[in-house]
Amino acid sequence: MPKLIIDDITVEVAEGVTVLEAAQSVDIPIPHFCWHPALGKAGACRVCAVKLLDGPIKGIQMSCMLPAQDGMVVSTVDPEAVAMRQQVIEWLMINHPHDCPVCDEGGQCQLQDYTIACGHGLRRYDGKKRTHLNQDLGPNIEHEMNRCIQCYRCARFYQEFAGGTDFGVMGSASRVYFGRFEDGELQSPFSGNLVDICPTGVFTDKTARFRARYWDFDMAPSICPECSLGCNTTPVARYRELLKISARHNDAVNGWFICDRGRFADKKVNSFDRPRVPLVNGSSSGWGDAVDAVAKKAAEFAPGSIAVVASSRLANEGAALLPDLARALSGAKLCFFSNEVICRASITAASQITPHMAASLDDVASADCIVIYECDLRQEAPMMLLAVRQAWRKGAPVFLVGKGAPLEQAAAVSVEAVDLDIIVEAPIGIFDRPVIIFSTMRSSAAEIKNLMAAEAKFAPLFDGPNGMGMAKLAAANSTISLESAVKSGLIKGIITIECVIADELRGEIPIIAALDWQMNSSVKNAGVFLPTTAWVEMNGTFVNNEGRAQQFKKVMAPGIPVSATLESGHPPRIHSLDVPGGEPKPAWEVITEIMKRL
Amino acid sequence: MTPDLILIAVTAAKIAIVLFAILTLAAYLVFAERRVLGWIQDRKGPNRVGPFGLLQPLADLIKLLTKEDFRPPAGDKWLFYLAPAMAAIPAIMTFAIIPFGAPVTLFGTEIAMQVIDLNVGLLLFMALSSIAVYGVALGGWASNSKYALLGSIRGLAQLISYELSMGLSLVPIIMLARSLKLSEIVNAQSGCWFIVYQPLAFLIFLISILAECKRIPFDLPEAEGELVAGFHTEYSGMRFGLFFVGEYINIIVLGGLATTFFLGGWHGPVLPPVVWFTMKTLSFAFFFIWLRGTAPRLRYDQLMQLGWKVLTPLALVNILVTAWWLVLKG
Amino acid sequence: MTIFTDIKAILLGLWTTWKHMLRRPVTIQYPEEKRQPSPRYRARIVLTRDPDGGERCVACYLCSAACPVDCISMQSGERENGRRFAVWFRINFSRCIFCGLCAEACPTLAIQMTPDYEICKRDIMDLLYEKEDLLIDGCGKDESYNFYQHAGIGVAQRRGEGAEEKAPVDVRGLVP
Repeated sequence: MPKLIIDDITVEVAEGVTVLEAAQSVDIPIPHFCWHPALGKAGACRVCAVKLLDGPIKGIQMSCMLPAQDGMVVSTVDPEAVAMRQQVIEWLMINHPHDCPVCDEGGQCQLQDYTIACGHGLRRYDGKKRTHLNQDLGPNIEHEMNRCIQCYRCARFYQEFAGGTDFGVMGSASRVYFGRFEDGELQSPFSGNLVDICPTGVFTDKTARFRARYWDFDMAPSICPECSLGCNTTPVARYRELLKISARHNDAVNGWFICDRGRFADKKVNSFDRPRVPLVNGSSSGWGDAVDAVAKKAAEFAPGSIAVVASSRLANEGAALLPDLARALSGAKLCFFSNEVICRASITAASQITPHMAASLDDVASADCIVIYECDLRQEAPMMLLAVRQAWRKGAPVFLVGKGAPLEQAAAVSVEAVDLDIIVEAPIGIFDRPVIIFSTMRSSAAEIKNLMAAEAKFAPLFDGPNGMGMAKLAAANSTISLESAVKSGLIKGIITIECVIADELRGEIPIIAALDWQMNSSVKNAGVFLPTTAWVEMNGTFVNNEGRAQQFKKVMAPGIPVSATLESGHPPRIHSLDVPGGEPKPAWEVITEIMKRL
Repeated sequence: MTPDLILIAVTAAKIAIVLFAILTLAAYLVFAERRVLGWIQDRKGPNRVGPFGLLQPLADLIKLLTKEDFRPPAGDKWLFYLAPAMAAIPAIMTFAIIPFGAPVTLFGTEIAMQVIDLNVGLLLFMALSSIAVYGVALGGWASNSKYALLGSIRGLAQLISYELSMGLSLVPIIMLARSLKLSEIVNAQSGCWFIVYQPLAFLIFLISILAECKRIPFDLPEAEGELVAGFHTEYSGMRFGLFFVGEYINIIVLGGLATTFFLGGWHGPVLPPVVWFTMKTLSFAFFFIWLRGTAPRLRYDQLMQLGWKVLTPLALVNILVTAWWLVLKG
Repeated sequence: MTIFTDIKAILLGLWTTWKHMLRRPVTIQYPEEKRQPSPRYRARIVLTRDPDGGERCVACYLCSAACPVDCISMQSGERENGRRFAVWFRINFSRCIFCGLCAEACPTLAIQMTPDYEICKRDIMDLLYEKEDLLIDGCGKDESYNFYQHAGIGVAQRRGEGAEEKAPVDVRGLVP
């Protein structure tokens, strides 16, 4: 283990760790652009210069390129190193367009920070600047090449890390250009990460273009609700409007990145038709009256003739209260899943899997064999695909089993996969750390039982962000699927909790009450509607596909976006403590209110 | 009409005139103070209400009357209400003994220009000025506030200390005039004012009355910088106004007394006696204002030192010297 | 002896105040007499236009970030030609302390302070100035500056034709 001294602090690090990382491990910041914890080094930006005073190597060195060695004495504050970094920043800034006021990166820009930190305050060069033409990279990402400092992070991420083929580096000398061969939408399902990874404003989020500055953001650590992987995100809101979502670092789950689906998903939270006030028979009402109406209506039904239906969109806090609600409704049927097959598959997967058997995304990325069983990861869990690619890059073979696992998904991340018809063809036994990925939406309970007999780790995929949590609760309580409940003929009324029920499944059964934050058929047909908060408007917990319970925090208070309330061009000129459209409450709170009246 | 009734009528008329005169004077003294302080500070002072701001006292009165009359709930209700009156009434009463003009003969009766000419006038003044202490003491006590209490304790100590030197400085006057009657003290100065014989006594008396009416540089009981407003911190509206008016009446009364004792009262050539008296009194008032614009506040220990270690011994020595001189003179 | 210096000090003080009593007051009788503040006086805030008549403000949020009393709020947006602008821009003058930090922070010289110090309204809501109240037809203190001519994003002119710019490079060129 090499032992070195950095700025008079003795550091001992593992073999192969760079001086930059060694310094970071003791909280000594060294400016860097091209080095990224997930992408490693490129030695392109030259801004991490340090001076080695003693040891095997001496003089100015790039700390990101230099593995730590025994006996090194490193100075980050040596005048020579400081001058080097200052001059490097100065020439990185020579062609910069100085358009920070109209750049969305301004305020969260690494180039801004390091320009100031390295002490380049006054521009000395008064020659002309090199300019580039931009490309149209589709509806999600804005391209502004003039701001580029040629750190190669984007190309390295896009091609090496994510396996994209339609974006790269072109040109030579000062003409180096990062883009596509021609204008067009980026094809990789992970292209949005260019926004996060670019240290300056070349790639910015077009969906939130010119909306707010970093220092005004309403932000909180959150969890992506788009699939069951539970990627860590940081949603950004401003003026009661969800603006954008960026990746949050979590090595065990999503690493540094998230997929485009999670990043650029429709912002239903802001939606104009989102129901925001309690409704009784279609007309708006106060909270008290609406909850009373629910209790009154529910009392008209015979015991056991009500079904309480939830979906895996519901956070654990609300879901855990549902058995109590069902009891309070004098023995209502509790349905955590609508579909009978998915219900059984989910419960089987959730009850069979142990923490030891569950594969996290990190486990997938470090597996030595991957089996994707009858599922298309592009649809069901895109970030799993990125993890599969990392495993493949390290040499793990990827087997696609069954007709439900198309080869195109491997092509999306440039992975060469083997297509198999049945699971037994996959030589799982000869590998140390195989991972089998399957979906509870595609495989039956029997298949899953069969599959899980193998000596491997398993990555089940569920139908929603809290799928595993719902399945665990479903297994622990006497629940049935709505499908079988309806078939029994006993159900005369339904209460939905953040759940959409297909009309053909429901038939003529009335919806007594619906709790939701999106407009859908259940809300439209409900006798009483109670607005709940979306995940960004509350604190809660989702249990992801591997059984990891992850908290998400309140990012913003519910309310109609200020941009939707403008009067003659500007926000209303009134002062009031009430937020317009601020009625929604977290589902668990609404459920508690109902239980109090029963 | 019987002579008794005439006496009552005349006295009542004199009381009315005096009351009206000193209340008006006090109100305008407030105005004058603000203007003079303004000039001293290169400002203009209040000049908005009426011509030259002359209606300012009226505006102040309306303001004070319409303000909320607040009483600290934990304080002593009746003492709190009584205290402002205790501050103002003795000051007004003192004016009863001051001769403000030469006696005039009206319809064959000689009328003294003085509400009442007591033969113990000087003693009455001393007594009333002692009673004035109660206004301060009760106001501070009844407020149930630490600032007010501190202010009233300071006020008590200060007034008691300076009463001593004030009284002692007047002893030579009694010795010279051989009377306690204020009219006779004035008459004794028809030739030469006592200030000529008794410059030291005058100085001690001047300093003492400054302290008596709690004016800068002796405004320790109020001391805005330290005690918010001292003993009247908790007062508002017209009750505060009464304290305020009492202070200015005190200035006039004490100025009038200083005139009576040392500047020959209403004596003076050419101009009518009342005018002389008024001019002399107001010049004291002006001096008080001028000093307020000039001097900083004394420290408490300096105040006590000056009173007990300087003024009182000096006054005693002055009495002895005067007595010795009178004996020598025969 | 100290007593003499003390007396001298008191008399000197009285003499000084006496002299001031006879001096001309420095008071300016405000509503009747008005003082002309210097052009750099910090009072009512305006939004200026560039020499071509376009709004200088690009709604970069620096003024609202610099504001110590949070009296500036705005929403930025994008015009069809790519120009960034303030959809709405509001200054709450009932809260403004006229410190001038916003004008100092402004990178486009849009927000400027004027010597108009008479801001007084019967209704406090009238002190809420919207963009149309703030925007003036003129450049204010700088007659020539146009941010978009210097920032190379191709709004006021085509890309590569700005003040300090070369023409866009040919990425596919192979000349060294």
